[in-house]
Amino acid sequence: QTILCFLRSFEYSQKNAVLVPVAALGVGGMLAYWLRSRHKIKTIEMGDGWWGSGERVLKGREDESIRPFKIETSDKEIEDLHRRLDQFRYTPHVEGAAFHYGFNSSYLKKVVSYWRNQFDWRKQVEVLNKYPHFHTTIEGIEIHFIHVKPSYVPHGQAVQPLLMVHGWPGSFYEFYKIIPLLTEPAKHGLNEGDVVFEVICPSIPGYGFSEAPHQQGFDSIATARIFHKLMNRLGFKEYYLQGGDWGSRITTNMAQMLPQSVRGLHLNVVFIGKQGLGRLISIMFGAYVPWLVGLSREDARRIYPFMQKNVYDVLRESGYLHIQATKPDTAGCGLNDSPVGLAAYILEKFSTWTDKSFLHKDDGGLESKYSLDELLTNVMIYWVTSSIVSSMRYYKENFSKDPNLSAYNRFGVHVPTGIAAFPQEILHTPRTWAKDVYKNIITYSYMPRGGHFAAFEEPKLLAQDIMQFVRKVEQL
Amino acid sequence: EFCFSLAGIMLLEVFLVLGTVIIYFLFSKKKEETLPFKDGWWGKGQKPDTKEDTTIRPFKVETTEEELSDLFRRLDQARFTEPLENSCFHYGINSVCLRKVVSYWKNQFNWKKQVEVLNNYPHFKTKIQGIDVHFVHVKPPRLPEGQSAKPLLMVHGWPGSFYEFYKIIPLLTDPASHGLSDEHVFEVICPSIPGYGFSEAPHKKDFNSVSAASIFYELMLRLGFNEFYAQGGDWGWLICTNLAQMAPNHVKGLHLNLASVTKVGFTHLLSVLLGRYFPGLFGFQEEDVRRMFPFLKKGLYRILSESGYAHIQATKPDTVGCGLNDSPVGLAAYILEKFSSWTDLEFQNLEDGGLERKFNLDDLLTNIMIYWVSGCIVSSMRFYKENFQKGIGTQKHEKLTVQVPTGIASFPNEIMHTPQAWAQKKYTNIVSFHFMPRGGHFAALEEPELLAKDILQFVGKVEKEQLWKKK
Repeated sequence: QTILCFLRSFEYSQKNAVLVPVAALGVGGMLAYWLRSRHKIKTIEMGDGWWGSGERVLKGREDESIRPFKIETSDKEIEDLHRRLDQFRYTPHVEGAAFHYGFNSSYLKKVVSYWRNQFDWRKQVEVLNKYPHFHTTIEGIEIHFIHVKPSYVPHGQAVQPLLMVHGWPGSFYEFYKIIPLLTEPAKHGLNEGDVVFEVICPSIPGYGFSEAPHQQGFDSIATARIFHKLMNRLGFKEYYLQGGDWGSRITTNMAQMLPQSVRGLHLNVVFIGKQGLGRLISIMFGAYVPWLVGLSREDARRIYPFMQKNVYDVLRESGYLHIQATKPDTAGCGLNDSPVGLAAYILEKFSTWTDKSFLHKDDGGLESKYSLDELLTNVMIYWVTSSIVSSMRYYKENFSKDPNLSAYNRFGVHVPTGIAAFPQEILHTPRTWAKDVYKNIITYSYMPRGGHFAAFEEPKLLAQDIMQFVRKVEQL
Repeated sequence: EFCFSLAGIMLLEVFLVLGTVIIYFLFSKKKEETLPFKDGWWGKGQKPDTKEDTTIRPFKVETTEEELSDLFRRLDQARFTEPLENSCFHYGINSVCLRKVVSYWKNQFNWKKQVEVLNNYPHFKTKIQGIDVHFVHVKPPRLPEGQSAKPLLMVHGWPGSFYEFYKIIPLLTDPASHGLSDEHVFEVICPSIPGYGFSEAPHKKDFNSVSAASIFYELMLRLGFNEFYAQGGDWGWLICTNLAQMAPNHVKGLHLNLASVTKVGFTHLLSVLLGRYFPGLFGFQEEDVRRMFPFLKKGLYRILSESGYAHIQATKPDTVGCGLNDSPVGLAAYILEKFSSWTDLEFQNLEDGGLERKFNLDDLLTNIMIYWVSGCIVSSMRFYKENFQKGIGTQKHEKLTVQVPTGIASFPNEIMHTPQAWAQKKYTNIVSFHFMPRGGHFAALEEPELLAKDILQFVGKVEKEQLWKKK
């Protein structure tokens, strides 16, 4: 019997001589495809957009020229500003208010007095013009940017292109102190080896000297696409990105959209998407055994007590976000008409987001970290361009499309990432949480001091962190 | 041994029952506790040793050429931002619509004439707890035989003012001339909440709804009223509620056109999840279901999209109000947006926000001018911080109930609907609860006749059965 079976099986194997290898090939092929697709990174679709007014003109190509541009002012502009400063109507604050009710009106009087009598806008315009400005039309709107190249490059040294994106209520001007540290590090005592940058700082459409979109739906993904097109137009195939606030979300989207163009992504603010039950549980445990849930001692110090720092403090500071994400045209209307109102609204953030303890000070601690000239120059950029309303619309466009940052979780970020975690940032994101989204963290640094406006407040610290991150990436 | 343990069990049971009864009484007594009167001093600096001046001084609203020319100069120099294409009122007020309003404001609106309209009713000021409190006091022109005028305190809200009541006052002081029954005739007192309009703003922290209620309580006593009715919506709802909790023996009846519930519990959550399918189980009527569900759309999202202003005013009032006190156009934009959305949320889909469908521009601008000429926008916003900063649902007055006879007029376009089932947990003595056929948040200005009729029928019920004596 067994011999008969054995003989019969030989017959079968002849038939199967063809079938088996074919099947093996089939299975092998499917396996290979599956393995490959697992390694293939999902990217955000680039898509396209048009933000000019009226109907899109399809005939002819878009004007791709890059036009140099100089910021200008006039007597009329300055006189109009002075008139409005003179006619400002104050409301006395309640006794003992400090900065707990918002910007303290007694201190505001001092700021306005300086603005009216000592601040020299013409001089500040010259300061702004010390870096070359340009305009170029992309997707129907004028994009403004500054492009700073190192004045001297030693032979054989590679110059890395670096795109730095600002946020709200900031502007390209926030980078003016850090740019020289990145383009000429040796001159400023930063000897970070062989890393030198040429820096491009655009203005987000709707902010500063970039034209505001005329159509609805302009969100961070559209911005990411436009900035990729900008870099491409400037001739760059691969570049580094740096951002905080909106800049963090935009540069992250850029890395998710065209990872092959992004050599590295450096962030000083990390947003992560909606958290699940697992995260909530680890937060509860983390208060007692931080090491068990991957939190370092510094992480624990920064995020606990949890309710106070992450819920109450955030609720207290997010009123602006709530109204801007729902009624931006209303919220910005009066601010575009009253420069003092605009200054109070913006400078309140420069106080509280630099250091939470500044709330208790009558002068909001503003001049302990910044000069009034710097602060007012940033405010003036919003004022002379009338961009406060369009800057606020960005909140509505982003929050109505993707309030929970689901794009982050869906696509992840695979490019080399460097994170600088500043202690006074409103929300701290530990490395273990950031890894959910940023799969390739090369450096994560706990900065010794500084808040939300890192480039403005601690340019040297930030520059050093960017450079050590880039050095590590270049060595990979 | 058995007998001993049985006795032990019985004793335990007796103790348990007694304990429960005692706890029940303690708790119910707690809930029926009156809200303590909140004394305070809100003037500048230290409270002086001298006795406060309690005289009631007549007051006339005035304007000057300077005031007008300053306003026009600011209107002329207004800087507008073009709206996004096809955005209507979805991003807030539409600046194209705003330009038209400003043009009317400059060229047709007559502030001098409106000041005369304001002065049609007698105004007064009196100092209470260190600050000047403004109010309008209107007595009936004629009284039917044998009747006395019933005092009625009507409290406004934000961004309204005493002016909101100008259309309803004649219906209440002189109902017969307006086709209404004159069984009950009122003398109406409309104060301005301290920090609003012509009432002085508090100079100290912590001026909340209980403080306002205490001041209005003193006001009514100073005017010689021992018993009175109270009516309110928006902040007026909360202040009148506090008044009823504070002085139940003086408030004969409480009428509200808003009856929010701030203390929510598990039953509320359950009723939101299941109320659509089992309305009867949760005490919902058909109209309740129609107005509340689908809950995400009509409740949660609506509140989130409409409460940005409350969030920023409750945290940074001095910041957000700063520019509005300097730009009349900004002030108008901020306030008019509410008169659009809170009258009918569908108005957001209209290019003009439906502003003139229910109101005329003269009334809207007069209300805005009250905020402008008194410079009170910042102090009006501080009221949000003083009330909300310690959290919602955590304060003492939110935990106490109201035993005073209550009448609720529930308007369909109010931002969020509160069913009677929820309201009666707090207002334990609801005498009338009516679904109004039309109207939104600014009921007194938009539907004065409907509101007046509801107040009259409510007072009729209270007076007929002398309900205030049955507490």
